[in-house]
Amino acid sequence: MDKEELLARLKQKFFDESYEDEIVPVAQQIVEAGIDVLEAIHAASEAIRQVGDAYEAGDLYLPDLMIAGEKMKRCMDVFRPHLKAGESGAKGGKVVLGTVSGDIHDIGKNLVGTMLTVGGYELIDLGVDVPPLEFVSAARDKGAQVVALSALMTASLPYQQEVIDLLKEVGLREKVFVIVGGGPVTAEFARRIGADGWAENAAGALKLVDRILSGGGKPAQTFLAIG
Amino acid sequence: MPVDRERLLTVLERAHTGPVCETYEWDTRVIPGTLRSILKKYELEKTCDPVNPINMNDELADRFFQAGLEAAEQIGLLCTDTHRVIKFSREELLQGLEAAPAEFTVGENGQEVTFKHRNLNDPTEPVWIAPLSIAVTEDVFVPLVEGIAREEVVDCIEGPSLETVYGHKVRAGSPFELMVGKYQAELNYEALRRAGRLGMPMYVVGTSPTHYGVLGGYGIPGGFKPGRDIVLLLSPVEMKTTYELLHRLVQVYNCGDGLVYGGSWSMIGGYAGGPEGATLSCIACTILLYTAYQAVNGASFPYDLKYMGNCGRKALWALSMVFQALSRNTHICANSVLNQTSGPVTDVLLYESAVGMMTLAVSGATSCTGTRTAGGRFTNYITPLEVRFAGEVFKRCAGMSRERANEIANQLLPRYEDRLMEKPAGKSFLECYDLKTLQPSDEWRKLYETIKEECIKAGMPLA
Repeated sequence: MDKEELLARLKQKFFDESYEDEIVPVAQQIVEAGIDVLEAIHAASEAIRQVGDAYEAGDLYLPDLMIAGEKMKRCMDVFRPHLKAGESGAKGGKVVLGTVSGDIHDIGKNLVGTMLTVGGYELIDLGVDVPPLEFVSAARDKGAQVVALSALMTASLPYQQEVIDLLKEVGLREKVFVIVGGGPVTAEFARRIGADGWAENAAGALKLVDRILSGGGKPAQTFLAIG
Repeated sequence: MPVDRERLLTVLERAHTGPVCETYEWDTRVIPGTLRSILKKYELEKTCDPVNPINMNDELADRFFQAGLEAAEQIGLLCTDTHRVIKFSREELLQGLEAAPAEFTVGENGQEVTFKHRNLNDPTEPVWIAPLSIAVTEDVFVPLVEGIAREEVVDCIEGPSLETVYGHKVRAGSPFELMVGKYQAELNYEALRRAGRLGMPMYVVGTSPTHYGVLGGYGIPGGFKPGRDIVLLLSPVEMKTTYELLHRLVQVYNCGDGLVYGGSWSMIGGYAGGPEGATLSCIACTILLYTAYQAVNGASFPYDLKYMGNCGRKALWALSMVFQALSRNTHICANSVLNQTSGPVTDVLLYESAVGMMTLAVSGATSCTGTRTAGGRFTNYITPLEVRFAGEVFKRCAGMSRERANEIANQLLPRYEDRLMEKPAGKSFLECYDLKTLQPSDEWRKLYETIKEECIKAGMPLA
């Protein structure tokens, strides 16, 4: 199989009904064929963009996005060891994501997680009903640049602030950006609790992370809202 | 209707012995795959008709119900604490629906409310439960609930939701939540006493996202009362349950004479897919919730992930289909929630309420809970006036034909549907109400009168 065929097969895997692991042999074939992995990553990114466009158009749905995001992760696991020095193939940021304590809503969080994965970030998804200390431990242990906090319930909102407070108390706040979102989370609330950013939706969350990590600013010094 | 112990124990046991399934597999394979194959089998794909947002095809509604029954049987409820699927046979599901009452009465002291199963175009007045659990500050809670309870069209109280308890933030899952369970009951009693409607039934506990509010406020001295009030069990999407919900169910059983509301939702564009998938998911989920929770009221309702509401064409179609399917094929007292995107003192909020409530009234919904003013995004953005308007539409449109309702919907939708994504916030309760007299500002009252007049001209019987 030549390069074009292999890359086309890789892209196709993002649209068919295959299981997430089934993309791995294709990625391995690409590596074994000596194809530049950056080129393969660009092909995968293009496919993911098309999945995102189809979602926006209403032709694909949330599970399709989530599966495509997982497939991208599997591809990157194969490609990453073969990148040359100085090449990242991704934006290089690590994001810890979760829905805060007392809240089991996951749709918004999953959408944000998929957008960040698709956008080239390494995602550490802690799930739902996550206590404040778990966010802090994950950020410290994984060396994350961003902590992203989701909440849908009013009574869970105080935990977004508690994560920020805890980061301050353990001396991590100036090393980690904190972004927040969710149904009742407004830009005003985000600013008030001392977050670095707020986005209204998942696409906005990706833009937000792009901008805070590329903007040269430091955590706990600025605030950015993407409405 | 007390919770039956044997049925309860069967559910609790199956939460530990049912087939194992991880949440990711459930969300990405089980739900979308099963719903897709059943939509295909019953030839329900691409049946959504945004031109006629209120379904008028009875055969299609019946087919959706049969498909929903099959989906409920095939899928079951995932308990996310044990990662086990609580499955039911078709016979058990039908028995679950059969066991639910076609009529029941709650409330006391002259404030009793009777819920009755409603048919399509049924002139029986539906029940209006207000408001949704919109966050409010402690100083606003009592006057707001008093103002809402003073509205004659309001039958039961559910929200709003307290941000603080005695000045301290309510934190989900913490002892503050246990405390706010009883505190909300006490504040509600005070508000209802001031409004002269003590005894009104309540849905509990609006402020509390976990089981602690119910444990702290229901069935205890001075708290919410079994037999008079209804306990909310709101299942996460799609077709999931949790220990938190099952704890509440056991608490209702322990208190005796308890009544359960089983509710959930499905998002168009979410795990279930498009409007047809969300419709199917809602019907299946409703059947499961009435079976698993022994609910007397409730249902799963659709809304659109794009604008987080259900007053646009696709969501209205799905809403009408869900409630028509349930109305024609069961005797349950199905309840919907109407999700508006916009805030007080905006015309969008009133248009959304008008079209949404009319859709539910003609589609056989027994009751509705709302308003979800401004999508619940802002603290104190809820007022009695939009609650009044939505209730008026809901009750007075009962008995209208679906054909007439479609004509009216198609007149009103163009006036707001392009602005659903804008979600104008409007003004807070404090900005558009006099807290002493509990009267709306002139601006808000005039807007209400203007839109009401437009609705009358469009053919709604609101005069």
